[in-house]
Amino acid sequence: MSSSPLPGDASNDPTTDQTGRFVRQPNGRVRPLSPHLQVWRFHVTMWGSILNRFAAGALSVGSLFVFGWLAAAGMGPDAYAAYAGVMSSPLGLLIWFGITLAAAYHLTAGIRHLIWDAGHGLTPKAAGMWTWVSFLAALVIAVGFWIALFASGRIVL
Amino acid sequence: MSKSARYIRNVKVSERHGAGEWTAERASSLVLVPLALWGLWSAWSLSGGGYAGALDWFRSPVNAVLLAITLVISIWHMNMGLKVIVDDYIHKPSSRTGLLVFIGALCLVLAFAGVFFIVRLALGSAPLPAGLGA
Repeated sequence: MSSSPLPGDASNDPTTDQTGRFVRQPNGRVRPLSPHLQVWRFHVTMWGSILNRFAAGALSVGSLFVFGWLAAAGMGPDAYAAYAGVMSSPLGLLIWFGITLAAAYHLTAGIRHLIWDAGHGLTPKAAGMWTWVSFLAALVIAVGFWIALFASGRIVL
Repeated sequence: MSKSARYIRNVKVSERHGAGEWTAERASSLVLVPLALWGLWSAWSLSGGGYAGALDWFRSPVNAVLLAITLVISIWHMNMGLKVIVDDYIHKPSSRTGLLVFIGALCLVLAFAGVFFIVRLALGSAPLPAGLGA
């Protein structure tokens, strides 16, 4: 066995690596070259991240609907009935289901990020597991909530 | 511009405001976890109750105070999140600044108007706009 790596052999040691994967940063430190987006192998955390930002954007729009409810309540029974009437249409219910799903996923993904920020679950396997848990928990919360709303007769289509 | 770098446990301390933003994002997330669950419970209580149910709900000081806290912290959290998104995707400085000022102003209006509505509903004030000048 040769003690030095073969040309083209990927080594994680910047002093012996011959693949050019390490670059000297402006601050003088040698760091791995960040691969371009197209050469990342798929990992579920990618969808976890994309969907979390998407949910955040959806919630920003959704906050306007919540604010609309607050304003309608402040403007009296007629305004409230009109707003509730529009929002209990099939399209309105779809919007509120979307808000519920976005809120549920932003919540579970946020908890996942707090776990990661505390330094736990950062191996690829654990990170993937927590991402799947956040997907499933969000679905259970949102779908369960709406099944309960219809089953209890609080909302009728 | 550059001060001497500070280190805590061999980790370089942010020279400007990055660490403060990071902490504020996490702190608001942490507070919003229980508030979001309370919000889900509140949505359940309010659903199908109509205007009378909503008025009853707002008369409870616990509900009014928690809703005002949730509203303000959510908007703060939303403002920080939208700033990150704008910083990521909008590269032209004038567009970025303009958009951030617009988002900030919108967030301020939503927060103040929202708290205004909540306070009126909690105090049982007359519906707007009738009571606006009173």
